[in-house]
Amino acid sequence: MKKWLSGFLLVLAVGLVLAGCKSEGAADQGSTEDIDQEIVVNAMSEPPDLDPALATDTTSGWVLDHVFEGLYTKDKEGNPVLGTASDVQVSEDGKTYTFTIRDDATWSDGSPVTAQDFEYGWKRVLNPDTGSSFAFYMYYIKGAEAYNKGEASVDDVGVTAKDEKTLVVDLEAPLGYFDELLTMWTFYPVKQDVVESDANWSASEDTYVSNGPFKLTSWEHDSQVVIEKNEEYWDKGVVKLDKVTYEMVNDATTYYQMFKTNELDLIQTLPTDVIDQEKDSEEYKETPYFGTYMYMFNVDKEPFTNAKIRRAFTLAVDRTSLTENVSKAGETPAYAFVPEGVETPEGDFREIGGAYFEEDAEKAKQLLQEGMEEEGWDELPEVTLLYNTSENHKKIAEAVQEMYSKNLGVDIKLSNQEWKTYLDTTEQGNFQMARMGWIGVLVDPVVILDYYLGDSPNNRTNWVNEEYDELIAQAKVEQDEQKRYDLLHQAEEVLMEDLPFNPIYHYTNTYLTSQNFKDIVYPVNRYPYLKWAQKVSE
Amino acid sequence: MYILKRLITMLVTIWVIASLTFFIMKIIPGDPFASDADVLPEEVLQNIRAKYNLDEPIPVQYVLYMKDLATFDLGISIESESRTVNGIIWDGAPASALLGTQAMVIALIFGLLLGIVAALNHNKMLDYFSMFIAIVGISVPSFILAPLLINYFAVDWQMLPVASWGTWQHSILPSVALAATPLAVIARFMRSSMLEVMNQNYIKTADAKGLPTTKLVIRHGIRNAILPVVSFIGPLFVALITGTFVIEKIFAIPGIGRYFVDSIFNRDYPVIMGTTIFFSSILVLTLFLIDISYRFIDPRIKLTSGGD
Repeated sequence: MKKWLSGFLLVLAVGLVLAGCKSEGAADQGSTEDIDQEIVVNAMSEPPDLDPALATDTTSGWVLDHVFEGLYTKDKEGNPVLGTASDVQVSEDGKTYTFTIRDDATWSDGSPVTAQDFEYGWKRVLNPDTGSSFAFYMYYIKGAEAYNKGEASVDDVGVTAKDEKTLVVDLEAPLGYFDELLTMWTFYPVKQDVVESDANWSASEDTYVSNGPFKLTSWEHDSQVVIEKNEEYWDKGVVKLDKVTYEMVNDATTYYQMFKTNELDLIQTLPTDVIDQEKDSEEYKETPYFGTYMYMFNVDKEPFTNAKIRRAFTLAVDRTSLTENVSKAGETPAYAFVPEGVETPEGDFREIGGAYFEEDAEKAKQLLQEGMEEEGWDELPEVTLLYNTSENHKKIAEAVQEMYSKNLGVDIKLSNQEWKTYLDTTEQGNFQMARMGWIGVLVDPVVILDYYLGDSPNNRTNWVNEEYDELIAQAKVEQDEQKRYDLLHQAEEVLMEDLPFNPIYHYTNTYLTSQNFKDIVYPVNRYPYLKWAQKVSE
Repeated sequence: MYILKRLITMLVTIWVIASLTFFIMKIIPGDPFASDADVLPEEVLQNIRAKYNLDEPIPVQYVLYMKDLATFDLGISIESESRTVNGIIWDGAPASALLGTQAMVIALIFGLLLGIVAALNHNKMLDYFSMFIAIVGISVPSFILAPLLINYFAVDWQMLPVASWGTWQHSILPSVALAATPLAVIARFMRSSMLEVMNQNYIKTADAKGLPTTKLVIRHGIRNAILPVVSFIGPLFVALITGTFVIEKIFAIPGIGRYFVDSIFNRDYPVIMGTTIFFSSILVLTLFLIDISYRFIDPRIKLTSGGD
């Protein structure tokens, strides 16, 4: 009996060793062709809408960018390049674009993509009955705004399919970043017969037809979305993955543990408490995210009516300490409004613009004193910093409160409100200093700087500056790239001189990616792009 | 007759709840379309509001909503414009119900067992042990218990998947985590109820007559002691099967728990109404079933609509 047992154990042990060798060997010599080209990523939550006309969020955008393709798409470096269009002719005045649709551009159901599909898709976005939230991104097109607002007919919209493969687009005015704009999902084509045959066509894989590198093959609500390689895609040669699964795990600790047990291959927005221990890992990646975290000043409410006092409150914040010790997710301290990530002919827009101020407690104190003298105040009016209820915002606000107490000798109060109530309050201007974040849907300084235009609905500060508005208006129609960026630098300078807001940090996204994959691209304003991704080991 | 009357009361109850929710929900400040990103031009907002009848005065909205409700049409979600509220409930309810039922079964079996064992061994080691477990179950919140379970069973020992949904293995950890608190509550409740019953004169009489202990405990003890427990497991059961925010979030379960909470934060009016009506309907129905079940547990209780 004992002999039998030891014999059995021996066989078992040898077997285990052999099995171990075998799997090691397989990893060494395995060619990528034997490896299942599948990746499981975490979308964190249900994409609210997979209809290009209705989607307004980055989660939906993440799926849409993989299953659809616009006239322009992004290359690996994040620059806009022609996608479903094979050629574009721009008129001399920069107002008329004539696109030629690729002959081999095909829908996932096998039918050809036509210029009419674009015309129909765009006009559907603008149709007031569609109720598209992103329709205003199309207002650069001639007649689009009037039609969307119900003031003109659909025939006045400057989008026309001249024939099967030719799309003519007329703009109200030339637009320097029209190519970048066209990579947005709102501008994707949709098939008329698909949309019209079922109002809920985009909610189920059975009715979903798209034209991108992947196609939707399964959508279990609140559980997972699966997309698979689209064999009809014109450029399918570059697509290596056969299948991408988006899981919807919302809890940070949970998805981190799922990554650790190989249930997920790629996760983002790591729990802050694990960043320190993962920082040196090969799997860890930190990329700038195209947005800015800030405190808006209400320039109509004392004491922030005074520019020197606004500057004092800006200079008195120690951003390095704040990002390293408080927010701790690898954010970059912000000394300007436009984040890094915009490639210009001279280099990164942010690097060229540089920092607009230096933190300095002494100078801040002095500015505060001068400001109070200008206004004739012996005592500073009481200041309340308002933020929307969240643990993270609270930590940051408390740190800032302490910095003001230490660096300025000013005790501010903190107050918080639940998100939608908060939006209401700030919209009505019932604040002195309030938290806000702004993330650019497109990677262009204009998308960021537009925020503080005098007539921008986003601008809650009551700050209106004609020079600023004028510079941005000029930049929008400027055809010369370099001149355009120069104007935008000037505009940012005007903004940073007046400081209607206090920039705190530029966002960062943190990722853990399994080392079994290569060629995943991490854009600065979207989630990772998997078009070229490949699994190279098990 | 009794049943018919109860059914009418149930419908009225649901209608009252729906109406109250409707108006309270409109009082909450904030706009479903408010956002920090790209605040919309007024004209576009008008288009979207019209889609959800939100451009009408509130009394008109109320009438329109009630009309749709009468045909069981709960409308379209504002947050996910391509999904109907019926669809959201239909998609999410099975996972929540399965999870809740499993948790309820675990809680009932082990809760009753612990409670009975504790009562029969009053002030002995087994009693202290059972009540220790019960106190731990009540005082450790599920958002602490769940990560602990994941850490040991899924990460360290790799016996079960961390999270997500699909196979029966996926449902074990969340069911256990969800069962902990109700299990403890049931155990404590059963213990005190059992102690009380076992001290009744008729038990002493039966014991004196020489009835075997097992028979005494099962036929006379448990059957009488369980009655108060039944009256509170009804609402408990409804709470469990209609989804739980924390557990479903931690384990990434495609249930409806999150919609109860998120819909309010998003001011997603149709979903707030839908989840409320769904929950109250199930609650009212369950209470009704429980009342009927009394009839079978305790023949002394008669189903009458008036006094005796």
